[in-house]
Amino acid sequence: MGPVELLHMSVYSQSFSPCGRFLAAGNGYGEIGLFSLSAALSPDSSPLSYRPVLTFTAHAGPVFCLSSSDLHLFSCGNGEVSAWSWSHLLKKNVKPVWTKRPDYKPGLQIPEINALMLRSRENVLVLGGGDNNLHLLDLETGAFTGVLAGHQDYIHCVCEREREGQILSGSEDGTVRIWDDRKSQSAHCIEVHKYEMCARPQLGRWISCLATDNDWMLCGGGPSLALWHLRSLSPTSVFPVNGCTRHAAFYQDMVLAVGDSPLVSHCMLGGDVKAQIPTSSPSLNCFQINDRSSEHRVLTVGGSSDHIDVFTNLSYRAFSLSF
Amino acid sequence: MGAVTDDEVIRKRLLIDGDGAGDDRRINVLLKGFVKWCNTPSSPEEGFTHYQRMLGTLAQCEFSMGKTLMVYDMNLREMENYETIYTNIEQNITSAHEKIAECKKEIQRAKRIRKNRQEYDALAKVIQQHPDRHETLKQLEALDKELQHLSHIKENVDAKLELRKKQFHVLLSTIQELQQTLEDDEKSDDDNDQGSPGTSGE
Repeated sequence: MGPVELLHMSVYSQSFSPCGRFLAAGNGYGEIGLFSLSAALSPDSSPLSYRPVLTFTAHAGPVFCLSSSDLHLFSCGNGEVSAWSWSHLLKKNVKPVWTKRPDYKPGLQIPEINALMLRSRENVLVLGGGDNNLHLLDLETGAFTGVLAGHQDYIHCVCEREREGQILSGSEDGTVRIWDDRKSQSAHCIEVHKYEMCARPQLGRWISCLATDNDWMLCGGGPSLALWHLRSLSPTSVFPVNGCTRHAAFYQDMVLAVGDSPLVSHCMLGGDVKAQIPTSSPSLNCFQINDRSSEHRVLTVGGSSDHIDVFTNLSYRAFSLSF
Repeated sequence: MGAVTDDEVIRKRLLIDGDGAGDDRRINVLLKGFVKWCNTPSSPEEGFTHYQRMLGTLAQCEFSMGKTLMVYDMNLREMENYETIYTNIEQNITSAHEKIAECKKEIQRAKRIRKNRQEYDALAKVIQQHPDRHETLKQLEALDKELQHLSHIKENVDAKLELRKKQFHVLLSTIQELQQTLEDDEKSDDDNDQGSPGTSGE
């Protein structure tokens, strides 16, 4: 990796291992880098422990999404989804367990997969991508069980409402659609840009981030980041975050959001921004909180640089891992 | 007991009183004085003074020994004191750890409560934007009444229209019948007229 490639690298996705001691990050060159958190967080860590333990090329295109189950790491790139076994990866064996491609309509371009979500209860992978549809892949049988069609433009993000068994998807056409397990048509369709409270017509109408907490939903992108109450499908508070939010999540009693500024915003549910923490990348794409391990509970943030910032205490950046 | 070698004894004695300027010297002087006192044939006063001097030196040695014993006791008691302080501090540390864990749980609970409160506030904000239920009910009732009133009027008007229609129908049918009867009469008159000139012409 020459310095020019490192300069132009973007980290698009991250995922923690099931034991919580490793972080897998996918970048724009189709590579996945595995970092050892226990080495980086130990008191006697050297600059060498901030480099990846293993880097391998996973796909021909950028790795836009990563997700982990108890045994496997799922990655998407170039229109296909691959599964890697964590135990194999830790032994530096980089052969995927399987690679599958959903049925796309025949055409000149291969649609990319922008969002990947694992529904652990039903053991189903939900893929959303450039062909405006959501594809459901059953992990037990290994076959694609269904297609949820309805969006008019490509899908940016997918998330799940566990208690009610619903899938939410946000797309470039400005709508958030709520799909129920039992039907193949969307149960609700929220056109976010039509609500004056959060619409920002000067930026656009696309929805690039979605997060749910069963009764509440966060969505943002072109329209401002807003908190919605799902039962009444109405926006309740708008967060005054500048720029477009690319990833947001609920954490304890706060909302964390990253977007096209170098700041991680901590917001309260009432709509005020409590803190904005600077990071080392000029714009941020994704973040993850390591819930699977209690001693390495960190927040890692990646964006348009080859560094991944690690926050041991949410209020300041501790150190950076680099590809 | 027999394993203590001469080396160790010498080392210990050198450590305690290496330069010979203390108790060791006093004991040696006493010993030498005693031997000299036993062997020299001197006058009883000299012997007595020598004897007194030896007693004094002995007392000094005993005093020094007593002092060391007391220092040793003091050290033992200081050690005990430190032991108690040490265990006390250890207990404090464990109780502080427990308090920290409890406080962390409290914080989690408080954060959850805060989150619930904020969700409640957010929903309340949305609900406030909608009009009051009583007002809407009252409006609904008023509209209902108006609707009833208007339908009542409509029924009345309909009934009147039906009645007028029937009355006009009766009128028109009577007129028709009268017209028919008149035509019939005219026709029968004509027939009669035609019949009578015919018979009168013969």
